[in-house]
Amino acid sequence: MKDQIAIVGIGQTAYEVHKPHQVLDEIVFEAASKALADAGLNREAVESIAIAAGDEIDGRPISSMLEACAAGAYLKDEIKVTEEGSYAAVLAGLRILSGVFDTALVVSWSKCSETDVTRVTGYAAEPFFTRSCGLNYLSAEAMMLTQYRNLYGLPEKAAAQVVVKNRRNAARNHLACFRKPIYQEEVMESKVISWPLRAMDVAPLCDGACALVLASARKAKELTDRPVWIKGMGWAADTYYLGERDLPAMSSLKNAAQKAYSLAGITDPLAGIDLAEISDVFSYRELLTYEALGLCRPGQASDFMAEGITEMGGRLPVNPSGGSMSGHPFLAAGLVRLAEAALQIRGEAGAHQIDGARLALAQGSYGFCGQGNSVFIVGA
Amino acid sequence: MSDELVFIPGKWEIPYHYAAGKVSSRFFVELRDNKKLLGVKCPQCGRVMMPPRGFCERCFVEADEFVEVGPEGTIQAFTITMEKWPGNPDPPFAVAYVKLDGADTAMLNYVTGLDFSDLDQTAEKMGIGRRAKAVFKEKREGQVTDFEYVLI
Amino acid sequence: MLREVAIVGTGQTKYTTTRNEETYEELIFQASRLALADAGLSPKDVDAVVLSIAPEALFGLDHPENWVVGAGAALNKPVMRISTGGATGGSAAQAGFFHVASGLFDTVLVVGAEKQGDTPDTQLILNKIMEPRYEIPFGLNAISMTAFQAVRHMKKYGTTQEQLALVAVRSRSNALNCPYAHLRAKHTVEDVMKSKMLVWPLKLYDCPPRSSGSCAVVMMAGDKAKKMSRPPAWIKGLAATSTTYYIGDKLSGAPFNEHGEWDELALAVKSAYPQAGITDPSREIDVAEIYAPFTIAEVCAKEALGLCERGRACSLDEKGHWDMDGKLPVNPSGGALSSNPISVTGLARVAEAALQVTGRAEARQVDGAKTAVATAIGGTFQFHTVMVISS
Repeated sequence: MKDQIAIVGIGQTAYEVHKPHQVLDEIVFEAASKALADAGLNREAVESIAIAAGDEIDGRPISSMLEACAAGAYLKDEIKVTEEGSYAAVLAGLRILSGVFDTALVVSWSKCSETDVTRVTGYAAEPFFTRSCGLNYLSAEAMMLTQYRNLYGLPEKAAAQVVVKNRRNAARNHLACFRKPIYQEEVMESKVISWPLRAMDVAPLCDGACALVLASARKAKELTDRPVWIKGMGWAADTYYLGERDLPAMSSLKNAAQKAYSLAGITDPLAGIDLAEISDVFSYRELLTYEALGLCRPGQASDFMAEGITEMGGRLPVNPSGGSMSGHPFLAAGLVRLAEAALQIRGEAGAHQIDGARLALAQGSYGFCGQGNSVFIVGA
Repeated sequence: MSDELVFIPGKWEIPYHYAAGKVSSRFFVELRDNKKLLGVKCPQCGRVMMPPRGFCERCFVEADEFVEVGPEGTIQAFTITMEKWPGNPDPPFAVAYVKLDGADTAMLNYVTGLDFSDLDQTAEKMGIGRRAKAVFKEKREGQVTDFEYVLI
Repeated sequence: MLREVAIVGTGQTKYTTTRNEETYEELIFQASRLALADAGLSPKDVDAVVLSIAPEALFGLDHPENWVVGAGAALNKPVMRISTGGATGGSAAQAGFFHVASGLFDTVLVVGAEKQGDTPDTQLILNKIMEPRYEIPFGLNAISMTAFQAVRHMKKYGTTQEQLALVAVRSRSNALNCPYAHLRAKHTVEDVMKSKMLVWPLKLYDCPPRSSGSCAVVMMAGDKAKKMSRPPAWIKGLAATSTTYYIGDKLSGAPFNEHGEWDELALAVKSAYPQAGITDPSREIDVAEIYAPFTIAEVCAKEALGLCERGRACSLDEKGHWDMDGKLPVNPSGGALSSNPISVTGLARVAEAALQVTGRAEARQVDGAKTAVATAIGGTFQFHTVMVISS
């Protein structure tokens, strides 16, 4: 994919457990304003808006009625997707590729403190066969782990190390919510909530919003001398029916990654990519994602983790921002990953900067057991 | 084989507690404690927004200057609900958007003290441009229902 | 616009209050199958999928897009769901267009479904869309927010309830010709006037039915579409405008500040019409499929679309201007007043417009229709989409 879509503005609110001083609209406005300011654009100059949000998390059907204008949509062409934050970037990117728009403001958010997010995920279980079993995003993930365990054994230590690593990284990210270090034993001894998933294997929820400004090649050159180009993007979804999936294989993620790699001309991701911001919504998920991204072979994630390749000082640091383990703004998470990857390419990631980052991978995930995934490759 | 169709009952019960935020909280506290109605002024376009919010979506700037408005104002739009819907108040009831004096935008609330026996006549009485006044309830809780409108 | 995008197939199921014979997933499957069959394609020909679904509270499933991946022919394909309230169908059609226009995909399926029959009362849910700090306690719903609009238009232009009734009479009569339509009837103005007053001045017959059903549209890149066995419909122009939620901010009468006018739609066509080479819509548009869930909504839409001058839609209605045998037929399908399967009402407008300009609208065909406009509306009349479709 030629350099046709650039990230030219990045805005994030601080991620906090609870943001009672701001109503949701104000949080969205903050992220959108920050991205515009970073891009050096005023709202008038932006041609299109793309937002990602979910009604049940936000607490109102058609939640965008209130949030669209907070995201800059007043008298603008605005559209909303619901899968998760990175999908707003996907759609905004398509709109720019079409040639109809030169700029797009992309915004996503979650205010997890205002509702019971786990319960909300339970309503994504269809009411005929699975809802009465209490299926939710925790129990679904746990079932995926029993399949992985059956094939390769449960990588408990490696999963705990994911949490340790990401929390340690978060200490260097001033926007992150949870920045105190954690020890492997704490994770491995935490309460079992849905066997074999333990409480500290689950990314802690938080409030926050994230926004990006995207621009066409022509416009990006006017706005900045440090555009972050989208080199490749792919997205795909697996079947909804957990009983029909080889869950640990995460085929939709493999699929999305292959599409992104192909557009970006990457044949060996481990060699070609300098860092990755991926979904650690669960500790084990990060390990499964290594495998699905082709960074290591299926069943090898535990050994791969033990080699330290994905630590800050390793060959392919993963989640230098601290990931969702440092605070999970649920639906916005994938857009945050993309924002963090872009900051790295710009050399603006501050204390958690990876030196010489030229090509980064960002991933967003949604649905039970990561049913759907998006993968972005961004670079200088 | 039977043709019977099966129905599974369900009910969404998702609890929420929405934070009103710093700006709106001030509105609710003033309403409850001092029977005052506050709008927020945009520092750029100067419009006084009722109900108050923390930013102006047109100028896209933060707004936090409070301005007292009302208690009188002018009706901008209204309607009378005649039908009972689950979870809604019993009909008939009237609501109106009133632009309180000093505000640039109109705020919704119930209009009370009306006679609904002749709908068209009531609609005529309430009409756009009619003056109304916010009256405060005896017992206030810091919610928008702490006041209502009456025609004046 | 760089890449031409065509509509090569459509599918709709019959709209009824309840669809108890299918699950939501099965409804999606039906429309997908119908549209693909109409296009002469199979699921493997689909490169990407856009789902048209909102608001899901109406049928009680969080993230229904996850459930219907398979039913929407999207297994292991790029798929995303669009959700803009009532405007969803129009926005989803636009997203479908952009998927093809991006150059990344040649064939895109846009599909959605509605199943509000699974909930006892739509307005119970549509009350919850209101602002939780300031407007939830007032028993508002879609009807009352429209009542405010009617009250404003009546004050400004002297519009009467009888004039609004003409819209209902025409829509439900047109629906008699549409095999998918839900409410079909030969009302008189008197019937409408005598129907139960719900939220003044809107009566039962001024309002849409609660409909369930599904719809799908297949879009294709122009060069490929031209090789299909049948001439397609072309998307010539499109635009969308969003505005504030706050009705109270739009009661001053100034441009874009009047709840009784659809200035935002007028802004959208300022962009869409030139894309399509339209300079005089009142003459160059042959047929309009307008998402008007209430009688007053159709009046505001026609005026904002420039199909007539502001304030004149009702007097033209009295002269039969918008009738099937009039100068500019509106909603030959019966529109939303006949069938309102909210998730796809806007998409059905696009499907109907495509059928009209390709001469495939059967009993509801407007003779010689070459250029159509399709609109959708959502929120507190805040999300507007418009598409110009022609042969």
